[in-house]
Amino acid sequence: MTDWMNPQNFSEWFRRLLALRPILAVLLISGVTILELRFDWIERALGAYLVTTNAERPESGAIWEKGRQSLNARKTLEQIVTDRQASQREARNATSFKQIAANVASNQGVMLSSDHFRKLYLNLPREIAREILSPFELLRLASDGLWRRTYFKKAGEGLTVYLLDANNRVLKQLNIFPDLLPRLGHEEVASDGVLEDLPNFENRIYAAKHFFDALQTFPEEVRRTMVPHPESLLELPGQITRVGISDETGAGFIELGFEIVNASQHRLIVVQGQEWAVWRLRSLLEENRSGVEITPDAAGDRTSQ
Amino acid sequence: MNFYTIFIRRARTIFYLMLALGGLGVFLAMGFFFVALRDLPQVPEPLSRIIETPPTEIFAATGERVMVIGGREAIPLSRVSPHFIQAVLAIEDHRFWGHHGVDKLRTLKALWVTLFKPGKVEGASTITQQLAKNLFFTYQRTYMRKFRELLVALQIEARYDKGEILEAYLNQITFGVAAHGIEQAAQSFFGKSAAALTLAESSLLAGLPKSPTRYNPYLHFERAKKRQRVVLSRMAAVGYIAPDAAEAAMHARLDFQPQSAGTRTGSYFLDVVLRDLETRYGPEIVYHGGLKVMTTLDPQLQAWAVESIQNGLVKLDESMGITSGHDEDNAADINHPQAALVALEANSGAIKAMVGGRDYSETEYNRAVQSNRLPGSGFKPFLYYAALEKLGVTPSTVMVDRKIKIPVAGASDWEPRNFGGTYAGPMILKQAIMNSVNSVAAQLVERCGPDAVIDVARRCGIKSPLASVYSVALGTSGVSPLEMAAAFATFATGGIRHEPFWIRRLEDPLGRILEEQIVSGKRSLDAGLAYQIVDMLRGVLDQGTGSIIRRLGFDLPAAGKTGTSDDYHDAWFTGFTPTLCVSVWVGFDRGAGMRDTLGRGITGARGAAPIWARFMILATDGEPAREFVIPADILMEKVDPKTGLPAKDWTPDPMAVAIREGQSPAGF
Repeated sequence: MTDWMNPQNFSEWFRRLLALRPILAVLLISGVTILELRFDWIERALGAYLVTTNAERPESGAIWEKGRQSLNARKTLEQIVTDRQASQREARNATSFKQIAANVASNQGVMLSSDHFRKLYLNLPREIAREILSPFELLRLASDGLWRRTYFKKAGEGLTVYLLDANNRVLKQLNIFPDLLPRLGHEEVASDGVLEDLPNFENRIYAAKHFFDALQTFPEEVRRTMVPHPESLLELPGQITRVGISDETGAGFIELGFEIVNASQHRLIVVQGQEWAVWRLRSLLEENRSGVEITPDAAGDRTSQ
Repeated sequence: MNFYTIFIRRARTIFYLMLALGGLGVFLAMGFFFVALRDLPQVPEPLSRIIETPPTEIFAATGERVMVIGGREAIPLSRVSPHFIQAVLAIEDHRFWGHHGVDKLRTLKALWVTLFKPGKVEGASTITQQLAKNLFFTYQRTYMRKFRELLVALQIEARYDKGEILEAYLNQITFGVAAHGIEQAAQSFFGKSAAALTLAESSLLAGLPKSPTRYNPYLHFERAKKRQRVVLSRMAAVGYIAPDAAEAAMHARLDFQPQSAGTRTGSYFLDVVLRDLETRYGPEIVYHGGLKVMTTLDPQLQAWAVESIQNGLVKLDESMGITSGHDEDNAADINHPQAALVALEANSGAIKAMVGGRDYSETEYNRAVQSNRLPGSGFKPFLYYAALEKLGVTPSTVMVDRKIKIPVAGASDWEPRNFGGTYAGPMILKQAIMNSVNSVAAQLVERCGPDAVIDVARRCGIKSPLASVYSVALGTSGVSPLEMAAAFATFATGGIRHEPFWIRRLEDPLGRILEEQIVSGKRSLDAGLAYQIVDMLRGVLDQGTGSIIRRLGFDLPAAGKTGTSDDYHDAWFTGFTPTLCVSVWVGFDRGAGMRDTLGRGITGARGAAPIWARFMILATDGEPAREFVIPADILMEKVDPKTGLPAKDWTPDPMAVAIREGQSPAGF
């Protein structure tokens, strides 16, 4: 018998080739090939499979890298803008140069309108204001109509202020040196003397006890508008003996003068309270006023009892 | 064993071998597939997400957008010219609509050519495969990369329809440095939308993605036209157009935009802006952050600066006997002189124009800021200011122009010579600077010391290293044109120094301000002394070494100084009006000095001043004559240029000099 694996002649081999199974196999392979060429089923099957695994695969490659870089860039920019806006916001809400100085970062200045600068300037004690910029110079700048904005930036330990026109050209540059900065907060201006030395206070001088008793009757948030930074009063050595309220108002504020006695030395510190609140306080003080003139010595006697 | 048996056995062996190889192939393919699958990238959904990165845009001072980096201007397929779609399909993948990500016939043919035709490699990537490669893969040639690219292409085909794929492809292909996506390309090259592209324009553009630099029509027009012919032939071959339509398109006129990808407005200037931003914010934010950069660039002045430089260099080439050599293949071999120009607004420091070389497409090296060249006599104004300030001399102080020898401790004597080798005897300082007399300058620096000169230069903004030697006064330490322009502007503004700047405002993609330039000046020089220098430098233009400026027709009030370094390696002219300060440098990058065909050296007056004059004539056209502001303490007096004494009616050629109140025209 002829070994099926080993046909001995061509006719045997040919007969086997034309048997059913080889023909079916050839038809199957041809069918698969033709169908692939015609319908791309391998590509479709692979593609469909890859679609199902897409979500689990890594976000790698040029386009994803670009996306990541774009995302990082956006985040960094957002941070820069947020920081800038935060310091701008704080600057816009500032009521004193001291607050501005506290908010200016070493790498980023803040921009204010010219009107805001004028308000801050008017809030300064006059002698400090004059030291920074003559009011006549400010008047000149305000009247020529070019001044639009004001830019504050850190300059070493001090502050540089640029008054700018619409094209950011500097119309005037002010240098606030480090020794001046602590004096910018109105409440911290301490000088030797008594309240009678300041003409605008001489009509309304009250004993400290009288003043603080009246102050105590107001809620905390109202007291803060009358004396914005009481901590600064605590920082000075000595005892507050008398408090004066100014007859003058300016830019919505009224000055309050605190007279402090330390080892028989009389010192004055002037702060600004909001006008509406100080008016309320003053009314209360006036209602309870004894009518007795309070002199420095009398106040000292009283407080020493 | 008969013949049949042998034949059958061999046929059987071959059959089983092929079966085994086929099985092995299938097995390997499966293994390859699963290996490739491990790191196969995720495909973003939707596909249009690939074009979401906001572009960083750079604007000129006029508001004109001069550069866009990154981003894509995506448009739907319906807004692309059918001509362009057909052209791209014909040249890249004409069976695109029929295959499913891979063109099997083309792949087999490419495989055959690659394997059996030595030295030839044929590509067979379909548009989908190209899209996959551009989105996810590097250009590294490995079988694994190719296989992964194929798999991603299959996935893209399975997930998206043909229109979406083609749209994504057309919106991300690169046509050149400044054009990504078909809309940007159509706008950049032809100034029209992609929908309006003609057959001729479409066929030219469709040929560019293969090699945007090699086929850049602005730089290599003939090559681009040859490529266009290939595209049109393919379109005809696949039946998209008739052969005569292809021929007509081949000969159709192409109206390119004047500003090309290769010569965009202010390329050197933009490089400076980008480098500055990269230093401060990092490349990630600059190229992917979508910044809006408002610069100080004046496109009109920039165009005139480029024109003046090119015009001046052509004339210089002619006088030096250098062939123009615009043959594409040989141009790089010819050693042409280079030039740089910086123009800035004197009273702010804003840079209005900057040219860093002959041609940005040939060399991106920015000689306006990166190159420190010897200014020669162009440095003398700093010396004269130092002398006025430290020695108390006046412009009418008399010095003797004579041969001099200055002893130098620890070195041989310094013997500076005048340019012409002759000596004129007594003369006032104004006359000496007007004629750029070296012997007088040497006497002044001997008396006031090099450190005083360096101090003045530093106060004016020169930042490059300056050697503390006598010859520093004659410009033997290198400086850049940008430094010179900024430093001379300090004289123009009466002693107020402005730091040069190029970015006015920087915004994020939402228009929120990141930074803005504060234009502040600092008094660096005394106003009266600065005016005395200005008056002396006016003399340079009116009657001195820079008088060619007047002869060329620039007649507005201006001041300036020529400069020429040893052996004519550098030629300078830096000058200013009350509003604009411009510095021009000309010279070879390296090698010999500049000489004309007769062997005469090219000085600042011959090489740089004509470029300066041409630029200033264009830049100030129609402007009124603005005088320099004369400080209150300055009086103009006419003196005898030889004795410095007040001029009498009979004094020949009296010279007006600026004298400060209290000063008297005195000898030295």
